[in-house]
Amino acid sequence: MAQLLSGLGYRQWILHALLLVPLLGVVPILLGRPAAAKRTALVVSLVEFVLSLGLWWALDTSPGTLQLNFSVPWIPAWGISYAVGIDAISMTMVLLTTLLMPLCVLGSWSYIKTRERGYYALLLTLLTGILGVFVATDLFLFYVFWEVMLIPMYFIIGIWGGRNRLYAAIKFFLFTLAGSLLMLLAIIVFAWKVYGATGTLSFAYAHLLEHREAAGSLAPWLFAAFGLAFAIKVPVFPLHTWLPDAHVEAPTAGSVLLASVLLKLGTYGFIRFAVPFFPGVALAPPVSALVVALAVIGIVYGALVAMVQPDIKKLVAYSSVSHLGFVMLGIWAATTQSLQGALMVMIGHGFSTGALFFLVGMLYERRHTREIAAFGGIAKVVPVFSLIFTVVALSSIGLPGLNGFIGEFLVLLGSFRVHPWATGIATTGVIFAAAYLLWALQRIIFNRLDKPENESLGDLNRRELLVMLPLLAGIVWLGLYPAPVLRRIEPAAVVYVRTVRGDYDAMRLSALAPERRR
Amino acid sequence: MRPLDVRIPLDASLALAPEILLCIGAMVVLLLNAWRHRTAQDSRLAGWIALGSLLPSALAVAVLWMGGTRASGDPFMVALDGFRFASLALILAITAGTILLSLGYLEREGLIAPEYYALVLFAASGMMFLAGAEDLIVLFLGLEVMSISVYVLAGFNRANVFSAEAALKYFLIGAFASAFLLYGIALTWGATGSTALTEIGQRLSGPALPLLGTLGLALLLIGMGFKVAAVPFHMWAPDVYDGSPTPITGLMATGVKAAGFLALARILVEAFPHAAGQWQPAIAGLSLASMVLGNLVALSQRSLKRMLAYSSIGHAGYLLAALWPGTREGLSATLLYLTAYALTSLAAFGILAVLGRGGEREVTLDSIAGLSRRRPWLAFALSACMLSLLGFPGTLGFVGKWAILAALAAEQQRTLAVVLVVTTLVSAGYYLPVVMAAYMREPLAADAHDTARLPRPAIVAVGVAVALVLLLGVLPAGALDAALATAGTVAGAR
Repeated sequence: MAQLLSGLGYRQWILHALLLVPLLGVVPILLGRPAAAKRTALVVSLVEFVLSLGLWWALDTSPGTLQLNFSVPWIPAWGISYAVGIDAISMTMVLLTTLLMPLCVLGSWSYIKTRERGYYALLLTLLTGILGVFVATDLFLFYVFWEVMLIPMYFIIGIWGGRNRLYAAIKFFLFTLAGSLLMLLAIIVFAWKVYGATGTLSFAYAHLLEHREAAGSLAPWLFAAFGLAFAIKVPVFPLHTWLPDAHVEAPTAGSVLLASVLLKLGTYGFIRFAVPFFPGVALAPPVSALVVALAVIGIVYGALVAMVQPDIKKLVAYSSVSHLGFVMLGIWAATTQSLQGALMVMIGHGFSTGALFFLVGMLYERRHTREIAAFGGIAKVVPVFSLIFTVVALSSIGLPGLNGFIGEFLVLLGSFRVHPWATGIATTGVIFAAAYLLWALQRIIFNRLDKPENESLGDLNRRELLVMLPLLAGIVWLGLYPAPVLRRIEPAAVVYVRTVRGDYDAMRLSALAPERRR
Repeated sequence: MRPLDVRIPLDASLALAPEILLCIGAMVVLLLNAWRHRTAQDSRLAGWIALGSLLPSALAVAVLWMGGTRASGDPFMVALDGFRFASLALILAITAGTILLSLGYLEREGLIAPEYYALVLFAASGMMFLAGAEDLIVLFLGLEVMSISVYVLAGFNRANVFSAEAALKYFLIGAFASAFLLYGIALTWGATGSTALTEIGQRLSGPALPLLGTLGLALLLIGMGFKVAAVPFHMWAPDVYDGSPTPITGLMATGVKAAGFLALARILVEAFPHAAGQWQPAIAGLSLASMVLGNLVALSQRSLKRMLAYSSIGHAGYLLAALWPGTREGLSATLLYLTAYALTSLAAFGILAVLGRGGEREVTLDSIAGLSRRRPWLAFALSACMLSLLGFPGTLGFVGKWAILAALAAEQQRTLAVVLVVTTLVSAGYYLPVVMAAYMREPLAADAHDTARLPRPAIVAVGVAVALVLLLGVLPAGALDAALATAGTVAGAR
């Protein structure tokens, strides 16, 4: 496989192609007939997925550093380049995104009935935006993608969303913008600080990382600005209030992308930028204690609030707050295991929460309600749906053998040495997750079939099965045999720990784990 | 103390070719008016001639810029540096846009008045003198030629009481501002014995600014503050912007403001480079007040025209922040941001002009609800403008804001930078609802946007402006290099 790919020169063009193909796909969608839009979008997103799949083999993940680096000057006067690169961390996110996109198109097939051309064009633009954030290695470019990505999502929520969509759309936009504008300022100030120290004005990631000491006494402020932007995106408690609104009002595909990918942009930002740039601030005891406390509060609070939701979609939305808390804990524990765990949660949550949102959307298309109380006993009517729902819910709970388990387990394992108390409390989150999901499962699928409306529900059709099968396969594969993924992300995790802790600390903490060194 | 020298050397009078050619064009239009001033046809003809007369002027700018630039420094009456030519090009572009937007607008409003175009040209020549002045006397003359023409233009819709109110208000406040400016010029002359900017700069190079000089500087700042509508000298702006014919509002928000800022930049950088300690706090204060007040008050406006008027006060704040460093980067940021703001605002006012049916005081968010359903291109252009005004990546507005932030970061000025980004966030609160109304709401009536159709000349103006805003937003390298190069030609720029 690797030979075939290198024969095609895959490593030279793949990152640019990934950014360009969706944008090119927008053209035929806008020019074509409205009815053809979804087919075009499906083809383009499938092409994109197939293209991206090669990364799995083409990327040499063993050094753990950024690969396939490419850079051309863009705005030379400001030292800005079009610079892209990818490592195992961003690769998993890129693959997750490109896998979900065709499924989102399929999932929107019958859900989106108005202004289809605009919808699918925005979906593809969003794809470019998301991938751009994951592969950009110039902070200006990163910022541009980070912001540009907002627009398609804003329109998707605002035009095709639910009843309260305008409020949700502007709230989503303003929350994100609030964080990112301060980050913009921080990027500029940081780059000029480094410029002052080195004499080179550059927004290149490697350059800034190498001279991160230049931030000097400003480091706390810069970290705060970066951190706020990412924390809003994650979202870290108490900045999460935009999330339930946006997730609930967005159309199914929008919710899926929001939960599975867009939230990960925040944690990705922490892993890639905020913590490595300013480790002295991020891991300083007071800051670290604050973040870990907020992460744990998020885990428990998200789970508790999820438990009392009468609306399934809101329940799933709040469960994201809880799961992302594990990721934050893993990032801040900054051990190889905890970071691997955090990445596994990011991937696993992408699969299981994405699947949950799809399932909720399928229920909604049938009954036009998402009230848990409106269902009950539907296992008899829609057995396939119920089976899949159960498996997905179990994976979200973190049942061993399914994908949710490995990530949360690694996070808890890796964090225990560093933050024992916090880890202890976080463990209860797993129990709460079992509580709210199993209870919801019981009220929706089991119990008595006492609502006549539910007796005529149709089971999943072939298209819907087609959406769920890849996700189910991923859930089972990551649960039973996560080794290939873990092996690929381990060097990157080691590099992260070394970058933020320094070599000495990194060795001490890595020694805790039975390492499989090359 | 040498006598006041108002001679213009021969080679410098050649340098005035752009202004002179424009004035000739204005006079041709005026002459034509004497015979033909009755029908809409005549009005249109005057418009096209006015537009055509921009061409020789633009050619003159191009020739001078390519061949004749040299560093300013001699006490000439007008600058001969790249910064002036860039300024002139910007003003000519704004004028062309204004004329294109006016062509359809005047007909729609039933205003048959060919002299309108002569006034626009005179206003433009005033702006050019103002922006290129190397001497306070020329600066004042330019300011007056510009202002008096715009006073008349503001009240051009004689049937409309708000237009009359706008004209009167603008005239009274303008006269007041001119008095401040003139007094400032007199005191500066008293302190230095010169009205030439660079000479003033040389004579005030001592460690302490004399009292007269300080007073002169303060009065000059106040006078220019009125012209660019910076808080607290802004009270006239919303009513005047609101009452004037929409294309003239566009001209005021872009051309008058641009000329004012370019002149202010020269005053500060060339005449008072050694007094930065004195004027920087003042500029910072004006900037902070304008950013905060303009953006906050814009939030509560119902009428879109008033909203844009208050937002233009906010933008004046951003531009003042760009002037604060007084460096090459700062000047280039001023130029870039002015370009971005001028292109975007012109297009926005042009679109606003066709959205209002009858009196455009009534254009609110409700009247653009569902615009994208009936007029997708109009909705797209309007949204692109709003995003550029907001400073969203992918638009020229973002490049401009980035330039300002970079100039501030280079000088370690963080207060202004932080307030700039925070007020930008506030501005999202009133720019985004426009996009929302256009795309996410349903039209309120079945025939809601039937009359919202850009006349052909306006399509050209809006189309070119929006295309440039988006194109330069993605590929700003050339514009940025040009801005940096021209800013470097100003005498006092560090």
